[in-house]
Amino acid sequence: MYQDLTPEKIGLKEWSKQFRMVGDSEIKEFKYYNNDEWGIYLSPPATFMVYGTRQLKKLKFDNSLAALRLWGFTFNESERLFRARQSGKRIIAAMGDLGTVPVIAMAFPDCIPFYPDCTWWTPFFNESTVLLDKASELGTPEASCFVRSTLAAFHKMAYFPKPDIMFASTGASCDDYSCIMQMAEEMGYELNWLEIPFRRQHRSFHMSEEHAVTDSGFKYPKRFETYLVNEYKRVWRKMEALTGTGDLKKLNASIEKNNRVRRLVNDIKDLTQTADVAPFPALEMMVIEFGNLYGYADIDEWLDILKMIKDTVADRVEKGIGILPSDAVPLAWVTPTADPLLLNIVEDLGGRVVATEYVINQALTIIEEDIEPFQALARSFMNASLIGSTEERVRQIAGSVDSGKIAGVIITNMLGCSHCAMETRLIEEKLKNVPVLAIDVPAPLGITEQLKTRITAFIEMLR
Amino acid sequence: MNLIGYACSYIPVEILSATGLNPYRLLHGDIDLSKKGERFVRVDACPMVKSNLAYVIENQEKFAALIGSTGCDMSRRMFDILSEHTKIPVYVVNVPRTDNPAIYNDEIDWFVKQLEHFTHRKFFDETVKNEISKWEAMRTKLRCTDKKRADHPSLISTADFHKLMTSYHKGALTDEIIQNQDPTDKPRVYLLGSAITYEANHILQLIEEKLRIVGDFNCGLSRPLGISIQEQSIDGIKKAYYDQPPCVYKRPHQRYYDFIRGETIRLGCVGIIAWTLDYCDVHEFELQKIENVFNLPVLRIRSDFSFQGLSQLKTRIEAFAEMLCTRI
Repeated sequence: MYQDLTPEKIGLKEWSKQFRMVGDSEIKEFKYYNNDEWGIYLSPPATFMVYGTRQLKKLKFDNSLAALRLWGFTFNESERLFRARQSGKRIIAAMGDLGTVPVIAMAFPDCIPFYPDCTWWTPFFNESTVLLDKASELGTPEASCFVRSTLAAFHKMAYFPKPDIMFASTGASCDDYSCIMQMAEEMGYELNWLEIPFRRQHRSFHMSEEHAVTDSGFKYPKRFETYLVNEYKRVWRKMEALTGTGDLKKLNASIEKNNRVRRLVNDIKDLTQTADVAPFPALEMMVIEFGNLYGYADIDEWLDILKMIKDTVADRVEKGIGILPSDAVPLAWVTPTADPLLLNIVEDLGGRVVATEYVINQALTIIEEDIEPFQALARSFMNASLIGSTEERVRQIAGSVDSGKIAGVIITNMLGCSHCAMETRLIEEKLKNVPVLAIDVPAPLGITEQLKTRITAFIEMLR
Repeated sequence: MNLIGYACSYIPVEILSATGLNPYRLLHGDIDLSKKGERFVRVDACPMVKSNLAYVIENQEKFAALIGSTGCDMSRRMFDILSEHTKIPVYVVNVPRTDNPAIYNDEIDWFVKQLEHFTHRKFFDETVKNEISKWEAMRTKLRCTDKKRADHPSLISTADFHKLMTSYHKGALTDEIIQNQDPTDKPRVYLLGSAITYEANHILQLIEEKLRIVGDFNCGLSRPLGISIQEQSIDGIKKAYYDQPPCVYKRPHQRYYDFIRGETIRLGCVGIIAWTLDYCDVHEFELQKIENVFNLPVLRIRSDFSFQGLSQLKTRIEAFAEMLCTRI
């Protein structure tokens, strides 16, 4: 039985050496789609570097078995989606809404939702501009968000199988991704468009109308729920037509299961962010948060992985041990970085991420289980990060600043990203009680010594 | 303080005007304003958004209210920043992004109530009818001018037409008419893309030294002329604004392309000018498709409102015109 060693972050070589201690029975124990034959995914991270994930040779990973499972499982996603297709499952592409449509898709048998959007990390993990170059050839502007790599992935048809059905959310969302979805449609992919309303804040000069308040404390016109309910019912009908089934009890079950994921992630975040010593690295924590979107195409296995991670983190917290020095500077991170290496670098330079706003607040909130399920989904989605004001988006971070939990804030911007361009200055103003470092995420392989020096200087200044 | 600023073709000017305030479309695009706008947003924001931000903040005493929309993301977020940096009341309306009229219809009802509350005046049926008549009359007059622009030969330049449309967008249309017709046989081109700002007239003049723009689909030019209100009521306004030739950001955008194709054929255009502003995702993502689907030569012009590239632009326009002449 594998025993976790003293927590630390280790590189590929160390993991390959350490992997020898993992027993065959443990390797066989962990499998996706519960398939003994081809579902085994536990392997040293070096395996994925050989397959093209070149950045792994630079990254440092947590040395626990739970983290090994996490990486094996997430890097295996592309294979998993093709296996799903081979084994007769239906592939459902959800795009743009980041967290709600998959809950509906999971209510149908053998339906595997995923987000093509997440391809935006691929050029960085692969240290390759192939997808970005192809996206440019296909007509995306050079100065647009790295999420344009998704379009190239649709074109190449090698990163995920052709979806059986696609749902694309537009409206109060970022423009570049809306354009990319439109371009995907023109490649011959059939999209079902959903409209996301803008979560308009009630102002003192506004005439009153019936409002509701989200879990995150965001007030919105109640009627917006109805629009979303109608949109989600449309998704449901499309799914019924695709699968020939439709049982609302299964939607309730899907909500319950997704809530289990969300609660586990909230627990892991709480443990990690409040411990005296950081028990788990920021890079793995980002991967954990984004798992809430769709459980990396196998939510049952993902749930199991999360339980293991929580146990690992809880054990470390209890023992007062972790992967960073106790004097690491507590930081908030606003907007997820397309380049995962930046998370490693900030920790290596003395920072510790204790709060995040990764534009997926809607996927982190618990969906109500005691009301009509479509309404519950609508109410949950109204917590979304990007559909309201900037003040709402960083309100929680601002609260943590005021309570002294955060010494500094890092904002990662993507050149040409519409919300980054418009929000960064305002976020700096809203978080004026704390130093803020706004950095542009460079293209793959573009992290320079200059950028590292800026981060170093920022953390030194905070100390 | 007599202006009510707005920023989208889906905001009904008749409703704005019913407040007794002067509707003023935020269509500023100027390099100095744009630079000033960078105090509030990053450099990679749309230069028109930056210009409008700076213009409103510098002239906030002129504005009684601001009306935003969920048109493009940067424009919507501009009103968030204006809410933070001015005391001007801001209303943001959800406008159609898919083929779903329910949201828009409800939003217009909400919007009417808000403006009635704000101005302490009821928009009686008679008020609405009067406003519709007034603005329809303006649009009818402008359509007549637009027809002359589209004539064979084209009698009016788009640079001159832009001056009239500027008056419309500033809510100050007078009985001014274009006296000097300027018939020409220059190659006929269609203009589309990002907004033509108030300060962009010199670009139109530059283009029309060698070409004649006979039709367009740009905010700031003839887009309001595609709105024709049949029923003189709020419902009539909703229908006419919802049914206008759709903005390119509406998904799916096939109707936009169908409309442009129809117009380029109707107007006998031999080329297309695709005007985009820096970081304008909504239009920059369309450029390759525009080049591929209309079977017409396309000249791309990209601008940040600076004057740096004007001589090169002049050369490119001349070369494009020569190429079109050889094809004719």
